[in-house]
Amino acid sequence: MAQQTLDAFQVIADPSRREMLHLLSKKSLTINSLAENFDMSRPAVSKHIKILNVAGFITIQDIGRERHCMLKQDGFNELQEWINFFDKFWLTKLKKLEMLLQQKSIKQ
Amino acid sequence: MQKTIKHQFFFPNPPEAVWEYLTKAELIEQWLMPNDFQLILGYDFRFIVKPMPSLNLDGIAYCKILEIVPFKKLTYSWKAGPGEGEITVDSIVEWTFVPKDNGTELQLVHSGFKEIENFNVYTAMDNGWVKQVGIITSLLNK
Repeated sequence: MAQQTLDAFQVIADPSRREMLHLLSKKSLTINSLAENFDMSRPAVSKHIKILNVAGFITIQDIGRERHCMLKQDGFNELQEWINFFDKFWLTKLKKLEMLLQQKSIKQ
Repeated sequence: MQKTIKHQFFFPNPPEAVWEYLTKAELIEQWLMPNDFQLILGYDFRFIVKPMPSLNLDGIAYCKILEIVPFKKLTYSWKAGPGEGEITVDSIVEWTFVPKDNGTELQLVHSGFKEIENFNVYTAMDNGWVKQVGIITSLLNK
């Protein structure tokens, strides 16, 4: 499925999806009330919701006859993992540079 | 949520020597990555590493030199993505060289992850969580 290959950055690169997460950060909403905030077809809204769900940014709970969307931590964790990866990456590389430059200063 | 990567290193070398290691392709490769860097304002270059499928990155960083202040500052953009020209990460790498007694302090700031910064949900998150738990609880208790 195409959605499963979307990474967290791709998911939040879309302005409508960001707006959906903004709205959901204030309170959980039913799919219907979420859709009211967007000038797009119901299937288009559903597609975005599905992407957010698959990527772990939201969960959908059926309560009575309504489907409630709420934020979920997983998608956000993936973004944090990316930052953490690059943090370590630079630290490792800079230690290597430190070693090279120390050798150079001893030779001089 | 942390949005900016910062590191600070001291080297026992003058800024000119440290500058060389950040601006000459063959010296950059010794500590960082294979690249086709050239010290020209606006120049497009690439860093090439192995693909990182867990991060959905093809291992190529597409960069453009944005600022050159010899021996003081070097800034380039850093874009990456899953491949085929698709860019999912759009960021800025900033190097600042501060002369010190007996050496140079090199500061790195990797920031401007546009998608993250455009995305202020993080600051709203904690608040949101508490509210949601309350709402769900009240709904379930109906």
